[in-house]
Amino acid sequence: MRELAGKLLRLDRRAIFVLIALATLLPLLHPFGLPIRVSPEVKAVHDHIESLPAGSLFLLSLDFDPASKPELYPMAVALLKHAFKRDLRVIGMTLWVTGTGMAEKVVSGVAKEYGKRRGTDYAFLGYSPGGANVIINMGQDLTATFPTDYYGERTADLQALRGVRSLRQVNYVVSLAAGTPGVESWYVYGKEKYGFELGGGVTAVIAPGLYPFLNTGQINGLIGGLRGAAEYETLIGMKGKGVAGMDAQSATHFVIILLILLCNLFYFISPRTAVPRGSPEEVGR
Amino acid sequence: MAASVFIGGWVAAGLTLFMFSFLYKDNPFFRFGEHLYVGISMGYIIIRIHYDVMIKSLYSPVTQEGKWWLVIPALLGLLVLARFIPKVSWLSRISFAVIVGFGSGVAIPRIISSNILQQVQGTLKPILNAGQRPFGMTQFNALLILAGVITVLIYFFFSIEHKGVIQISARIGIYFLMINFGAGFGYTVMARMSLLIGRFDDLILFASREYAYASLILLILVTLGLVLWERGRRPSS
Amino acid sequence: MTLFLRRTFPLIITFLFGVAFAIQYYVPHPVSEAALTEVSVWLRIILGFAMILGIASLGQVHYAKIRTGVAGWGYSVVVYVSMLATVGVGLWAGGQEEGTGFGWIYAYTLLALQGTMFAMLGFFVASAAFRAFRARSKEAAVLLLAAIVMMFGRVPLGEYLVPAAGPLAGWLLNVLNTAARRGIIIGISLGGIATSIKIIFGIERSYLGGRE
Repeated sequence: MRELAGKLLRLDRRAIFVLIALATLLPLLHPFGLPIRVSPEVKAVHDHIESLPAGSLFLLSLDFDPASKPELYPMAVALLKHAFKRDLRVIGMTLWVTGTGMAEKVVSGVAKEYGKRRGTDYAFLGYSPGGANVIINMGQDLTATFPTDYYGERTADLQALRGVRSLRQVNYVVSLAAGTPGVESWYVYGKEKYGFELGGGVTAVIAPGLYPFLNTGQINGLIGGLRGAAEYETLIGMKGKGVAGMDAQSATHFVIILLILLCNLFYFISPRTAVPRGSPEEVGR
Repeated sequence: MAASVFIGGWVAAGLTLFMFSFLYKDNPFFRFGEHLYVGISMGYIIIRIHYDVMIKSLYSPVTQEGKWWLVIPALLGLLVLARFIPKVSWLSRISFAVIVGFGSGVAIPRIISSNILQQVQGTLKPILNAGQRPFGMTQFNALLILAGVITVLIYFFFSIEHKGVIQISARIGIYFLMINFGAGFGYTVMARMSLLIGRFDDLILFASREYAYASLILLILVTLGLVLWERGRRPSS
Repeated sequence: MTLFLRRTFPLIITFLFGVAFAIQYYVPHPVSEAALTEVSVWLRIILGFAMILGIASLGQVHYAKIRTGVAGWGYSVVVYVSMLATVGVGLWAGGQEEGTGFGWIYAYTLLALQGTMFAMLGFFVASAAFRAFRARSKEAAVLLLAAIVMMFGRVPLGEYLVPAAGPLAGWLLNVLNTAARRGIIIGISLGGIATSIKIIFGIERSYLGGRE
């Protein structure tokens, strides 16, 4: 038994890869559809958008690149659907250069679904380098930061931006972020001075780090990872990629928990004298 | 379905499988995909800089709005590129001095306000308001947060020797940190699995009849390719 | 004079900009606000040029590989060909992505390649979890337990099997995790401010590069 445990600890990692592949693939092909409990932090973002009157300005900053698309794109779709359904004026933009194409596609795609007109009901500003400097600039003078929108139209002439001189006139900003610049940049360089309400949607990697700011109210809500996207989709009554991915998420998590438990079980019963702690053999496993 | 979408599906499925082939071992398919990614990213960034920075933020304001003074940051920007010419690379220090000086200056008051003062306020306010209501879960949580913040800060204070009460506090701080790292690991697993789910979702889409079973056919071809490559690598007996 | 321009002049610029814009935050006068607006525009333009630096460096590395003919130089040719093709298509499309070849390249190659590159981490994290995540000490056991509670309680299956798992994971995040994280944030921020002050006063000069 101890020998077997030792052998299993040295299992070829490709066997684990196959296990994970199956745990991901099978639930996607045959979903079991469990209910999704909504957390207060996701509901807070939803409720704030619900409370905004029609015509309010909602700025969605899609601060992520294709690497984080599976987690943040479903959030973007859900938020935009909600915003357009509430007839809010939407401003889309990005602080990440390789996210520009995705950001444009999601904003214009969802807008088209709701019959919203570019320039009148929404504006897509595109990308500008500088991260925090863009936020400071927008807080001082938005049309100077983006003299033209992504499509080359003068922002000063856009109906969607009428009455907007700076971030002070924006009613709600949500940053969907995969790192820096992201939510932290928006509240340190933006909300701190220009006083708009701020919500966050982030990848699961950085979500735990934002709970202190949620606790103090510096961000009024937080949508974390694919689970957060699934919760938001549930709130707006939509079955998108977030909800669809939850069964596979459950399966893979259970596989990882099982692997951790087995690893510890095998570790404690395997002949440890054969592999001293901290030795090259143990480190190299 | 448009031809560009159909072909795009095949290309995306193929490139996805090229990258996944690394799970078997490092191989020419993966290396090709990796270098293709580097090249396309560079090209994409060049185009975005050209249109979103050079034209929109510099050329148009200078030529169409008469903001001639923007030539100054343009010159400072060119000085950054002096880094490539060893004889005059010191000129780039002027630009970096502007970037770093401005960045440090704007950061200090904002970080003091948002990351320190507001965080300290958020820790102490619930404690100060605790006496107004009967002691319940909210007050207990507020005390736990206060204890956690103080013990973690004590742990990181290496200028004094950790002994006695300080040592006990630091040990408690370590346990709070372990919970933070554990939560971080759990969420990191969630994130990585989500990315995998996203790619598999696309592969399943590209395996449909609409895309002429692209993922399946390409999976067979890539597997065959890897087999042939392995055979070619092995020394002939 | 040369030494002044090479060494002292940049430090003076850092000091002036650093002090000016630290004080600017507390001065709501229109001139002060206008200065902030204008200089932040300048920074965006300068940083745009700085992005070229990164790309040029990468180009230099791959060019050197092609020139010297080291093993794998063919892949560097792939880098250059794909970069030039993307730039060519991008210029043809005028930088627009909707319905253009440039958009096609982005949607079907860049998205697939970058997405998959990071998706592979899912496999490696599972492998690492099996091989390395062992409760060798009390602290490691606490870490492991917190990780398991989080993974169990933040998926629908876990909440379905143990209804209390969800609220427990939420409590861990909102209370214990928040406490530790807040301590880390305050510590890092104090360190960051100290570093910024050192930079402004010329004590920290590594950002200038070189030995002078």
